Amino acid sequence: MKGSLIDRNRKGILMEDAKSRAKITREQLMELEQKEKTPAQLARDMLVTLLPLIAFIASQLEYWLVPNKYRNANPERYTILLLIPIAIYMIRWVISRVRYRGGDKKLYWRILHMAPLWTAVYVFLTAFDWLTLKTGKLMYPFIPWVNDILNAAITDWRMLLKSTLFSLRLLLLGYFWGVAVGLVTGIACGYSEKIRYWINPIVKLLGPIPVATWLPLIMLLFPSPFSGSIFIIALGTWFAVTMATITGISNIDRSYFDAARILGAKGSQLIFRVAIPHAVPNILQGMTQGMSSACIGLMVAEMMGVEAGLGWYITWAKAWAMFNRMFAAIVVICIIFNAVAKALELIKRRALRWQNGGSK
Amino acid sequence: MAEHKLTLTLDNVSKSFARVDKNDITNALENIDLTMHDGEFISVVGTSGCGKSTMLRLIAGLITPTTGTLTVNGTEIDGPDPDRGMVFQQPTLFPWLTVEKNISFSFRMRHQLEGHEDEVRRILDVIGLTAFKDDYPAQLSGGMAQRVALARSLICQPEILLLDEPLGALDAFTRMNMQDEILDIWRRTRQLVVMVTHDVDEAIYMGTKVVVMEPHPGRIMGEIDIAMDYPRNRSSSQFVAYRNQILDMLHYGNKEE
Repeated sequence: MKGSLIDRNRKGILMEDAKSRAKITREQLMELEQKEKTPAQLARDMLVTLLPLIAFIASQLEYWLVPNKYRNANPERYTILLLIPIAIYMIRWVISRVRYRGGDKKLYWRILHMAPLWTAVYVFLTAFDWLTLKTGKLMYPFIPWVNDILNAAITDWRMLLKSTLFSLRLLLLGYFWGVAVGLVTGIACGYSEKIRYWINPIVKLLGPIPVATWLPLIMLLFPSPFSGSIFIIALGTWFAVTMATITGISNIDRSYFDAARILGAKGSQLIFRVAIPHAVPNILQGMTQGMSSACIGLMVAEMMGVEAGLGWYITWAKAWAMFNRMFAAIVVICIIFNAVAKALELIKRRALRWQNGGSK
Repeated sequence: MAEHKLTLTLDNVSKSFARVDKNDITNALENIDLTMHDGEFISVVGTSGCGKSTMLRLIAGLITPTTGTLTVNGTEIDGPDPDRGMVFQQPTLFPWLTVEKNISFSFRMRHQLEGHEDEVRRILDVIGLTAFKDDYPAQLSGGMAQRVALARSLICQPEILLLDEPLGALDAFTRMNMQDEILDIWRRTRQLVVMVTHDVDEAIYMGTKVVVMEPHPGRIMGEIDIAMDYPRNRSSSQFVAYRNQILDMLHYGNKEE
């Protein structure tokens, strides 16, 4: 009879299991609960998904039909640039329609969600083109038109690539050192009361000072601008990572240590198997903050110290009034920093799967 | 008296804590004498502040007594040991580890995982959570999490299992199911179980002996052997008599008269 109690229990769990993993998708569930859309609404949705295409056509009509105010070399490049995203968009649109007919509406709904944004992008580009190339109303020559920037990037691609690689090297080296030393400092502070006693005031005192403040001194003290720049970038990262690690380790609930000790964990195991895993969300948060601080450090270092890299390229192009090249470098920086942030975000999501009971 | 494989003795144990707010000390436990053996299921009841959790933490070795000694088979308790497993009111599962890794935690701490994978699998089956072995604690219900916490302690095959209000945070039905599950496990392993609870019915339903404690300072008011066969009927006259006796000792007995 006792056994049957447990059996019943186990069956209950299995039922729960089957229920939570049933084969109904979230989209199907939403659809079940929503009111059915009228034909007019469906037609409107369809029109919205096609708006980006209409906006693209409009942008091209404006670009090719309205006479230019300035000389525009290689005009086809702009069209190709704008064609790539819309072509991908339309291929996805066709796939989504085929799937929609087959009952899978997920992709179509995602496209419907993104359509207004893409429309806005093309409308913005059209307006921008009209304000620059067509009329020069937007502070020409300081703000060039897109095709001009594109031409500059293509003409000077070797230099841009070299600067990009240099900046990336500097950024990643500085960031790596900052994170490594930051982790060691933070963990040491979390591990030992004595170390925290000595390190904490230093972190508190130096932390709030923007790294740029130190730049002139560091450029004097370091043997080369390159090593000085690495130090500047590492310093900001170090601060963010150290603070976050200390917070993460000191916030741990005592009961985790109690549980671990009862299960046989001793000494350093309490740090490496309990305290550090517990601090991982904070550490990753610190690494994200550290990255934005590293990016600032990189730009400051390149604009004021080292004579290479994208930051230097921007200052150099500006000095020679080559605003199209300047903007080309800004676009590259934008792409790189976004890519780095995205990569960090992916790492974070992977490392923190356990946090919100997310899917495996 | 029969031969016992294990004897846990608390000899004149007192524990005081320094208070944070005032320059004063609290006597959590005073002059506790208690002897327990394997095969016993000791329920400890008492109102809050009677030091029953402190007593468990002392037996676990998480804290040291101010005066007096705690011994297992004559050896003084010196720090925590997987031989004395403990389950807390909160499951305190490590949220960054899957169910399986939580359960095998103590093996990995002692570098003994190899050769024990079968045991992990078996205990997952016993608690009925095999399908959830790769889930993280955040995905589990309270009852499931507490089952995992129990399994995590049991897998070390402790001589003594300490339960600190393990079912206190569960709903009434899950709680009754878990009481039976714990009894079932105990009846198979026959280790010494010491369970702290504030639920008198739970104490009588599960314990071979109920230790009643009183606060300020924490001390033992009496030990009552429960002479009933398992499974026990919560509404039998014998059960009700025990309940009245214990409630009387705790001064909750006569209110309705």
